[in-house]
Amino acid sequence: MGLFDRFCSLFTDTLQEERASREEAVRLAFKNRCRQFKALLSANKRALESMANLEEALNGGRFFSMSFVRANCTNVITNVFNMIRQLNALCDNAYPELPQRLRSIQQQIAEALAPPREEEPGPLVLPLRQAGFSVAHETGAKMAGLGEAWQQLGRDIPEGFVVTASGYRRFIEANDLREEIARRMQLTDLSRLEEVFALSASLQELIVRADMPEDLVRAMDAECDRLEHAFGAVRLAVRSSAIGEDAAGVSHAGQYRSELNVARTGLVRAYKEVVASKYSVTAMTYRFNRGIPDHEVPMCVGCMLMVDALAGGVAYSSGPLSREARQVVINAVPGLPRAVVDGSAPVDVFRVSRQVPLHIESRSVARKTERLACAFEEGIVTLPLAPEEQNRPALTDAQVLEVAGLALGFEVFYGEPQDVEWAYSPEGRLVVLQTRPLSRAGETEVGREAPEGAEVLFQGGVTVSAGVGAGPVFPVRHHADMLRFPRGAVLVVEQAHARWAPVLARASALVSESGGTAGHLASVAREYGIPALFEISGAGRLAAGTVVTVDATSRRIFKERVEELLGRVARPRQPFSETPVYRVLEQAARHIVPLHLLDPESPEFAPGCCRTLHDITRFSHEKAVEAMFRTDDALFSGRFGKQLRYRGSKLQYFVVNIENGFCSPVEGGYVELDQICSAPMHALWQGMTAIPWSGPVSTSARGFLAVVAESASNPDLEVTSAPTRMVRNYFLVDRDFCNLQASFGYHFCTIEAQAGETEQENYVSFHFKGGAANLARRKLRVLALADILAENGFLVDVREDALSARAEALLASEALELLHILGYLIVHTRQLDAGLQGEDSRVALADALRKGVAEIMRLCGPA
Amino acid sequence: MRILLVDDETDFLELLAKRLGKRGFDVSTASGAQQALDLAAREDFDAVVLDVKMPGMDGIEALRLLKDQRPEIPVLLLTGHASTEAAMTGVESGAVDYLLKPVPLNDLISRLTEIAARKG
Repeated sequence: MGLFDRFCSLFTDTLQEERASREEAVRLAFKNRCRQFKALLSANKRALESMANLEEALNGGRFFSMSFVRANCTNVITNVFNMIRQLNALCDNAYPELPQRLRSIQQQIAEALAPPREEEPGPLVLPLRQAGFSVAHETGAKMAGLGEAWQQLGRDIPEGFVVTASGYRRFIEANDLREEIARRMQLTDLSRLEEVFALSASLQELIVRADMPEDLVRAMDAECDRLEHAFGAVRLAVRSSAIGEDAAGVSHAGQYRSELNVARTGLVRAYKEVVASKYSVTAMTYRFNRGIPDHEVPMCVGCMLMVDALAGGVAYSSGPLSREARQVVINAVPGLPRAVVDGSAPVDVFRVSRQVPLHIESRSVARKTERLACAFEEGIVTLPLAPEEQNRPALTDAQVLEVAGLALGFEVFYGEPQDVEWAYSPEGRLVVLQTRPLSRAGETEVGREAPEGAEVLFQGGVTVSAGVGAGPVFPVRHHADMLRFPRGAVLVVEQAHARWAPVLARASALVSESGGTAGHLASVAREYGIPALFEISGAGRLAAGTVVTVDATSRRIFKERVEELLGRVARPRQPFSETPVYRVLEQAARHIVPLHLLDPESPEFAPGCCRTLHDITRFSHEKAVEAMFRTDDALFSGRFGKQLRYRGSKLQYFVVNIENGFCSPVEGGYVELDQICSAPMHALWQGMTAIPWSGPVSTSARGFLAVVAESASNPDLEVTSAPTRMVRNYFLVDRDFCNLQASFGYHFCTIEAQAGETEQENYVSFHFKGGAANLARRKLRVLALADILAENGFLVDVREDALSARAEALLASEALELLHILGYLIVHTRQLDAGLQGEDSRVALADALRKGVAEIMRLCGPA
Repeated sequence: MRILLVDDETDFLELLAKRLGKRGFDVSTASGAQQALDLAAREDFDAVVLDVKMPGMDGIEALRLLKDQRPEIPVLLLTGHASTEAAMTGVESGAVDYLLKPVPLNDLISRLTEIAARKG
């Protein structure tokens, strides 16, 4: 070889090397594009999933927590951000305004999730006698009510002060607790009781261990000095007065702690204990079921001089049971009234007519063996009652009438029946401890005929909350029983303790052996609308698991389910859609869920017109697909998209191999079907081709002509059929993945599927839109398609003439089977255009497709 | 696949490391941001899983330093802090994702696999 030849060969070698390395660079760049596209698709999928969760919560009647709302909003935002990132990477940052759109939508969502507080911080403490409705946002409703009783009605209330909502925030913020509490709550599934128990313990410990800020301690000290100056050494009752507590229809009965007879030295500890009880299991379960977000409940705390009561109790200005509605009902005990509230001790019951002059209609005096009293140093003690005191009424007749007058006075003042806690001081003064709206038990129908054939197990007792419920008996005696309490069971307890309240939300009915209609458990049952019967002695003998029907309305317990009774309309409960958490979701979802960008050809299909996160996902997906498959890309076109050849003919399908979609390297511009080794693509293709399409079937000549006419005159058809644009269909394939963007006739559709080894990753999704014929017909066609898809396990969503369907968490074989069906449908749905003429033909065409689907499944066999 | 887990809650850290280890991941752990930065300076990782709230240097700050130091290592934020603002800041600062605890192990694994595949 001559020198010149050697030189030439050296040169061509270099050229070849250069070409090879360029080729390699393009190959890598392309591989990168495929990755970006797939990452975008997977972010899109996750964003849509979270949106679907939010949408489902908006539509369904189920419970959800703020954590659920926050988590899903956060997920959508993160994934939309990732879509934008991948889109801009795919298109050389063609949409720089998208991140800003996302930012501003995110800020609107953040505002909906936690509305910014405008209020100025108020005083850390307020004297109780200055409390009232005008400052209820600082004192909570309970202390505001007491303040009003003093200021407006001139009633005796204990002296004292309130550590305000501002005081509470000071405490929480000084310890940086807000975020830590939110974080721990976010980790907990509030519908699982055992998780709530663990969370409750951890949050209460967090609060009790937190430091009191100096300024708050000084403010409390100053108030204590004032009290000591006037009354000598003070002992205090430290009581919760949460904001939102006792709001209309929301009693929060018995969820929070009260600390009685607290010495000044123990005040800080008691304050923290009461604040911590915001996170008691009962309170958290209650807020979850009532849809009340944590941040909406600042805990105000009343610190009042302790009344070492001679007698005390609870008065209902109008009895909670319907037959008592014309009476004032008074539950009383000697000593501190706590025994009544706990529902654990025998109580005297007095009924007073509501007509003036008031008179006592009945009295039932229980045998009381003990009373609660203030201990000498601190706390309370149980003291035995002398035998001669045991059967003595807790109140004299004059006192009964005085208490009744007090309760009625509150009812007049508030304009609705009241539940008043009161005490007689050692000096014989009647002191108001709290007042709140009464929740009612509903109508009773004692003596109603029992349904024929139903076996009565128990009869009698006291209706605490009317209604009928059925389920297996589940006795609860210990804390551990609560954790195992199954949803829908009948809760059977020996004593009506407030601590059983957390399981009420899951119970179908409540039966207690003992009494306590004025207790907290009874209040909570009424508020949840759970049928409840008390004073059923022997109920504890019911074997666990026995199915019973509790008819609290007629005071009977039946064996088995008595459908006749259960069929009656249940008492309406407050729908979850009226709760604060639901409203937060609604506000946030307005910036997430609605879709405004439908038509990619419209001028509004632009970043600036994206008003919601859904709009951004739609826009980004569309633009990414365009970028991925556009044919004017000098670098990638022709080189990587191969035209599909099948049985010798070239088809209008182009195949892009992501990585492992071809069995071996394919040279040139064509790829044979059998050179492709993507299982999902083959499944789809099989479905498309197994039954040949016989051309448009015209079931009515007018219909067919109408299609032709509209095709000629409707400019919208450009979108999908586009004779002016090349009609090309694109497959993006990998071994376990396939994405098809196609036009069939006048329909535009996208199918995407993953069918690999991991069940959780597999999915089949389908979007379908457009078509000739008018909108009414297009809708009919889409609805017929939706019927078929839903029958085959897809979740289907139809808006106007656009259809989306999705199936996920599938075995690979299941995914392939669905692809057979989709393949058949996209090809054969064309027939639906011409023939559609109203609802009947929708059914007829669905039938035709259904037959075709059966046929395709037979032909393709199990995948 | 080499993973670096960073979280100040050591119980959580150890449990997750153990579970990922059983599923074939090569896991290193750090209980603070500085320790994580030191480790990342010396060793190679296919992905870092980082908590957002940590005493001392917090996760976002650590994320920024980590992206300066080793821009090629993908960082996934895993946190109990469900704030849209924090999520935005996290992804804007270069995190590939912002996952909320408790995350099902399979979800975490599939995200890690996906992220590592994208990197490779």
